[in-house]
Order: sequence, then C-alpha cells, then structure tokens
Amino acid sequence: MERYSGISPKGDLLLIMRLCETLKNRTFLHINSTRSGGGVAEILHRMLPILEEIGVAARWEIIEGDKRFFDITKKIHNALHGRTEKITKDMWDYHFEINKRNAESINLNADAVLIHDPQPVPLIEFKKGGKWIWRCHIDVSNPQKDVYEYLRRYCERYEAAIFSVSKFAKAMPLSEFIIPPSIDPISEKNMELSNDEIKGTLNRFQIPADRPIILQVSRFDRFKDPIGVIKAYKDVRKYNDCILILAGSPATDDPEGEIVLNEVKEFAEGSPDIHILLLPPFSDRDINALQRASTIVLQKSLKEGFGLTVSEAMWKGKPVIGGAAGGIPLQIIHGVTGFLVHSVEGTAFRIRQILNNPEMAKRMGGTGREYVRNNFLITRQVRDYLSVWYSLENKGKNILEL
Amino acid sequence: MTIPFEFKQYTSIIKSTGKKAKNLHDLREGISAVSKESIFHHTYQYSLKAHVLEYTNDFAQWAGESIEERALSEILSNIDPYAFKDIDGLRKELLNVIDDYLKNFPEPRDAVSGNEFYFNEAVTFIFPAGIRVKNLAEFLMAIKYIDASSIYYHFYESRRRLGGIDDFSKWFEDELGKKELSEKIRLIDPFMHNIEKIREHISELLEAEVKNDMEAIK
Repeated sequence: MERYSGISPKGDLLLIMRLCETLKNRTFLHINSTRSGGGVAEILHRMLPILEEIGVAARWEIIEGDKRFFDITKKIHNALHGRTEKITKDMWDYHFEINKRNAESINLNADAVLIHDPQPVPLIEFKKGGKWIWRCHIDVSNPQKDVYEYLRRYCERYEAAIFSVSKFAKAMPLSEFIIPPSIDPISEKNMELSNDEIKGTLNRFQIPADRPIILQVSRFDRFKDPIGVIKAYKDVRKYNDCILILAGSPATDDPEGEIVLNEVKEFAEGSPDIHILLLPPFSDRDINALQRASTIVLQKSLKEGFGLTVSEAMWKGKPVIGGAAGGIPLQIIHGVTGFLVHSVEGTAFRIRQILNNPEMAKRMGGTGREYVRNNFLITRQVRDYLSVWYSLENKGKNILEL
Repeated sequence: MTIPFEFKQYTSIIKSTGKKAKNLHDLREGISAVSKESIFHHTYQYSLKAHVLEYTNDFAQWAGESIEERALSEILSNIDPYAFKDIDGLRKELLNVIDDYLKNFPEPRDAVSGNEFYFNEAVTFIFPAGIRVKNLAEFLMAIKYIDASSIYYHFYESRRRLGGIDDFSKWFEDELGKKELSEKIRLIDPFMHNIEKIREHISELLEAEVKNDMEAIK
C-alpha cells in the first residue's frame, strides 16, 4: 500500500486497511477465461499481488476451452453487445459442458468467488460455498434478448452482480453493484518514463517523432472501429500533417482478431504515415511509451465495456477523443478532459480542433489526470471489491461504520 | 477538558435498483416506488459529487440535461432536502412538483436511448480519517487538506443526524465556546457551494478567528 501513498487518494487506502482487518487471511477466488489480452486479464494481473500484499488469500484461475468453446463465447459476447447471433441449444450445452469439465479441475472453495464475464458464468452450478459474485465487464445495455435471458438463469443464482456502468445493470433479484474498472499507476503500462526511452521506442517501431502522433490502442475488433479511425485520419490529413498509430495485442479468446487485422491493413495500404503495430502480449511498456509520445489518443469504439485505454491516456496527461459508448462517457467529460464523438466526421473535426489548440490540449490533459486519480486508480477498485464482499457479509445494512 | 474533533471519512459504493425512467411519467413512477435509500442517494448524496452548481439533486440534473425540461429542473433544484423530517416527506414533495408540472405539460419528451434516468442506491462506509484536532489552529490545518468526503460527512450528512446543523459548528460551540464563529459557519449555504468552496469558506472564517485570538490581549 505504501507504494500508492501520495498517488492514490488517502481515503481509498484507509478504507482498504479497515476492511482488511476483517477480511485478512480469507480466500478470494477470481475466475476468467484468458490470462492475456484485454482489460480483464490486465486488471487481474495487477490486482492479485495487491490483494495478497494486504493479507487477502487471493487466487486467479482460468477456464480452459477449445476453439469451439471460444467461438461460442465470442458469439455470446457479440450478442450481449447487441449483434445478431444464433446460439443453438447444442452450443449452450457445449458452453455448460466445458464449464462442467473445468469445475472438476478447478478448486472452487473460497470465501468469495468473483466470476468474470459470461464464459465461466455456468460455474455457479458447481458452487461449494462462499459469496459468489458475477462480474460483468461488457456493455449489456442492448443485448440480444434470448441470449441474455438464457444467461440470466445462471446470473440469478449468484448473490450479487457487478456492472461497470449503471445502464448495464438489469432488474434482477440480486444485489447489483456499479464498479468501474481501473488502471494501475505504478504498472509498466502507466509508470513515468524518460524521454530517451520514449524516443527509443518510436525508433524501434520506425515511427518518426517529427510530427504530432494520433494513437489508438485496442484489440483489432470491429467494435473498436479501426477502419473508422483510419477514415477520420485520412480526413484530418487534408488539413494537418500528422501520424496515425493503431496498436493492439492479440487475445487468445478472440478468434476474429486476425480477420479484422487483415481488413485494417488492406484499408491502410498506400498511406506510409499509418503505422499498424501488432504487439505481443505484455507489451505494456511499449504501449506506455506510445501513449506518452502521442499528441492525441483515440478510443473510437462503437461498443465498449469500459475502454480503459481512455483512463490510461488521461493519466498521462493526454486529451482523449472517444466514442460515446459503454464506459467512455464516464471517463471523458466532454469539452473538459477530451471530446465524445458519434461519427467519423466528428472524430476528424475534434482531432483538428485539438491539433490546432495546444493550450486547450494541455488544460484537458491536466484535468484528465486529476479526474483519473480520484476515480479510476486500481486502489479504488480494490476498495470497491472488498466493500462489496464486506457488505454481502453485512446484508441489509446500507450504512456501515468501521 | 476539550473533547478532540475526530474527522471521519465517508465512502459509498453504488448499487443499481435495476429501475430506469425514460420520461417524466416513468420518473414519477420510479420516485414513488423506489427505496428510501435510492431517494437519499439521488438527493442528499448529490453534494458528494463534484458538480456544476446549476442543480442540487440528480432528478433536477436529469430533467435539465437529458429531457431538457428546464423549468421543472429549476423547481426541483430549489427543494431543500434538509427541510423535511424524513425521506417520505421529501419523496412527497418531489412527486407534488412533478405532478404540478405534468398538469401544464402532460406530454413530456423521451430521453435519448442510453440517457435514461437510472435509479441507484448506495452502501456507505464511515470510518476514521486518522486525524484528530484539539484546537482551532489544528482544525484550520486539517480542514485545508482533509478529503472532500470528510467535509461532506461533517457539513452535509450531519444535518440529518443533528437536525439541520453541521458537526463543525457544533464542536466550535460545545467544545471551544465559539458561539459567534459557529453562527457564521451556519450561515454558509450548503447548496450554493460545492465542497471545495465550503472548504475555502470555512478556512477563511477560521483563519480570521485564529488571527483574532492571537492578537487578543488577555
């Protein structure tokens, strides 16, 4: 905790310490479906050591599955985001079957169990004890109804659910908490870097540092609209000389990634100032350097769980232009810490506006950093998870004095 | 012997009720049906958020920003939650205001999809901030740097516990015998300032009082 002192708000650290007086040495199991790629795995990589450090016996397990399983869960994921997908009874049965197999090999005994996203949600059928909480990271505000209804049968057996944004929550007969995700200010992804290192990273990727850089860091996924980003960039290039970087890592649970990457490469062909970087997993330090080297960071998502790259860039004092989707409007205060956009044209317009107004860019960056400090650092999320656990053990009380 | 003032910290985690409103009729229905905790969260706890001073509660903010019913927003903003002896009294007043408005404007517009009003509640944790002060000078230092949620707890939330007054002025009066200072503190309008401005005002009043005490010949 001392490492966060002076960085995170003191109140968050104090509450963590208080809660730990009760939760110390108790077991806290997290289960998801991938150890690398995407925001969930990233948060767990950072959070587990913190939980252990403060005395909670935390464990992180992964459910194993084959290509068929992940094809099905990708379809479920897309359907929850509102895309039309056909999930047959056979597919649901296979989804359950794989979870059943995993339940046989994973030790599910714990005082609190946090199941992340829909892939492992059927594990609730094999609950042995403790408080089971479903953590939904994705935007389920307009899901395909039949798919959501099927999953709901599992969800309603949990004691509580956690959503990132109020509008994702549904009327269900269980406690539903709203907890946004977070970034770790002292991780390789967000720590301070020297100018030499930042320049070195640009050199390694053969990106010139002589013009403003526009960056989007995300998986190669249609919901992140990489093609829309390139269209906006091409529009900006009519007025402003600048560079575009699209950087992303592959995720083992996303079979569509390669197809989208190829589409993006094709669309960018013939534009030497567009750099498409396929970074290996755990390229955090490189991403950090790229974000710090940028003038503007984009997260032009059409659908989004939360879009943590927004907070990452704001923490580095960058103005951010984001699609008004999922959790992005919670992070970007329009006109204050960046801009929310709804179209390719809007994205191009706001890029030009910021490029031509460095004073505004600086002001937005400074305000954004403070906003992230108070709302989106990992210590706040640790505080919230422990608070949910504690409140489930003190059910019925809305005010808890510690 | 003076009992020291112990600052407390106030942190909430948000719980969804699963209910939402897309227009004023839905909002009315929601306000009449949701838990007391939800009404409390959307009104009293509004001051805890960094906010624009155009509004004093979430209902007013939503009416103004999401469905653009500006006149209703003004009336809702003018409701003082601390003027009611319980949440049901406040709930009744909110409903009266909306009913009156609906009589004149019976067909309110819908919010754009995604901008609906989401009824939430909060689970609140109150715990010592680890700062205790024994006199005015120590208090002055503490108020300058204490977390904003602490000021919320002692300056806003206290009004429910103490029947309309704040913890700070009560301590100045009861423990330090500073009746005049207490009265000045009680004159600060909690709704016309955000927490940072409240911090500034209290600091200014204390600064003057400490200076005065130091210059006094006793």
